[in-house]
Amino acid sequence: MRKSIIWICAIGILFIPLIWIKLTPYLVLTTAGLAFGMFLFMVASGMTIIFGLMDILNLAHGALFAIGAYLGGYQILNLLNTLGWVETGSVGLSTISLLLAITMGAGGGAMVGLLLERVILRRVYGDHLKQIMITIGVLYVITELIKILWRPTAEPVLVPLAFQGSFDIFDVIVGKFRVVAIVIGLVLFVGMQLVLRKTRLGLIIRAGVENREMVQVAGYNISRIFTAVFTAGAALAGIGGTMWCIFQQQVTPEIGLDNQIFALIVVIIGGMGSVTGSFLGAIIVGLSFNYVAFLWPKLALGINILIMATILLIRPRGLMGRE
Amino acid sequence: MTTEMTPVQRERFQAQQAFFKRPSFLIQVALVIGLILVPLVPSFRVMDMMAKIMIFSIVVASYDLILGYTGLLSFAHAMFFGIGAYSMALLCYHLGSPQWHHLILATIVALAMSVVLALILAFFSLRTKAIFFAMLSLALADFFHILGRSWRNLTLGEDGVTFSLPGILNVQGQGFSLFGLNISPRTMTYYLVLVVSVALFIFLVRFVGSPVGRVLQAIRDNEQRSTALGFKTFPHQIYSIVFGSSISSMGGILFALWLRYVDPESVLGVFSMVDYLLMVIIGGLGTMYGSIIGAAFFITVQTWLPDLLRGIAANFPDYEIIQRMADRWMAYFGVMFVVVILVFPKGIVGTVQKIIRRRRMASFK
Repeated sequence: MRKSIIWICAIGILFIPLIWIKLTPYLVLTTAGLAFGMFLFMVASGMTIIFGLMDILNLAHGALFAIGAYLGGYQILNLLNTLGWVETGSVGLSTISLLLAITMGAGGGAMVGLLLERVILRRVYGDHLKQIMITIGVLYVITELIKILWRPTAEPVLVPLAFQGSFDIFDVIVGKFRVVAIVIGLVLFVGMQLVLRKTRLGLIIRAGVENREMVQVAGYNISRIFTAVFTAGAALAGIGGTMWCIFQQQVTPEIGLDNQIFALIVVIIGGMGSVTGSFLGAIIVGLSFNYVAFLWPKLALGINILIMATILLIRPRGLMGRE
Repeated sequence: MTTEMTPVQRERFQAQQAFFKRPSFLIQVALVIGLILVPLVPSFRVMDMMAKIMIFSIVVASYDLILGYTGLLSFAHAMFFGIGAYSMALLCYHLGSPQWHHLILATIVALAMSVVLALILAFFSLRTKAIFFAMLSLALADFFHILGRSWRNLTLGEDGVTFSLPGILNVQGQGFSLFGLNISPRTMTYYLVLVVSVALFIFLVRFVGSPVGRVLQAIRDNEQRSTALGFKTFPHQIYSIVFGSSISSMGGILFALWLRYVDPESVLGVFSMVDYLLMVIIGGLGTMYGSIIGAAFFITVQTWLPDLLRGIAANFPDYEIIQRMADRWMAYFGVMFVVVILVFPKGIVGTVQKIIRRRRMASFK
């Protein structure tokens, strides 16, 4: 009973912006906000699992996002464009090039994440202060490396032809790529839930979030699971980066830090360690950011901090955080 | 005389007598005299470097109060620094011709803002876990960075604010001569920075040695035990955060005074936190004097490293990648930062203290 009231209230809040925004722009903003939320979810879900399982606050997650953007979004699409697949291809070629870009972004993120976990983070397990300092240092170094390898300025990113433009449904203009983003985000969310709930690995991960020592006692090599989870989280961040830069049609080296802050807000709102929480948090942040950016552009980032503060006041551990 | 004293008084008296003969006191006096004499060096670059070292020593020492002595990782320290710098710059810029009372007003505004913000930050984040403090301060700092970049009417956006100072600090002014030496407005500003930063540093050292400072270290080392001894964790952490952040905003005011120019990237940027962290770590966590060494090292390298790299890169004009690597000299600081945390976590002063302590233990045996 109480739960259903909460849900009704939550859905009711969604319609509050209709007081200021007309229906058509409201629907446009909602799809944009949902798409933005999906990108945030891709980054935040990795962070939240890594925190829940390994007790590591990984501020370098934004760097993995940036690597995904540069490697997958920028480099691969430019490369494929020389074959004529991206800006002038058929629907099939567009899809293939998008999938290739995503694979490459995920692969790049995973590789760097693997190295990061094996070489650096392994030495600072159990020391929050050092972890935070080292990961922000890594974020900084990777941002600078990106400026060396590519350029320190903003670069345009190509959009595959089939995903350019928008659908027009009863005057509601929905960007095609937004739909793609929402679909991919939902697929990832459902996939993660399935892996976490239905497979043996998911069982171990959920058990590890509850109690690491007991998983070890049960005979599982927790260090190998840590590496696997960290790499998976890094790959998710890479996918997020690839999608994000195609959505924005440009990349900047600061992309990592900017999205890191958003992801942090999402993780705090959702509760550390909860995938469902970070999904809800990402949608809240994405939607509110878009509504407020439409109404009062200057307040856009402030509203997220305001929401975060409010939620922390009511539930200090986040929406789905455990006590 | 000593016979009439209680043992405690005698102890104190002897400690006071010994204070002025200690080698560390003599080093401090020599340091201050050296800093006073710096403007005699005819190179502006050296004076600029020394002024920056003094300013950042203060900022880093106040950061060390929060990080090293209290054990809280704040990413908002650069924000407080920026608040100080911007309140100075904006008041002088927007209120027309600069007056002396603008300086005082800027100090009051900066202090008030940083106290209020630090209180808000602490109340929200310290209720749960210390790790929330890091995350919330990062979010808040980024918010202020974006505010500084995008509120163009007030802060002039990315272009930054150039302003002039009142009276004898104004660089357009003539300065005056004293004992046959011409003292330029630059030199006057230098001495102002010197006086204020030495005063703030002594203040910080006294604070760390005070009962409150001792309790802070106890809480950092073992929170449960100090709670059991009856010390309240939350108010003490708030003292530390509020005090450290206000001093950081004072550092920002000095920085604005010295450069007479602020822009969002250099005073509010979130990545400048990495610089502060590097200075604190190199000097050594939980050592006030380490912050001077850390700041001196960092600023010196920052002043000369770009030249050095450019010199190296000039030998390889054909390779574009080497030119780019020479341009991004900040990357090497980042690498150094990661390496120092991994292999050298106690910093310079911390390591030296450890060696001295080990020697003392050995001589006892």
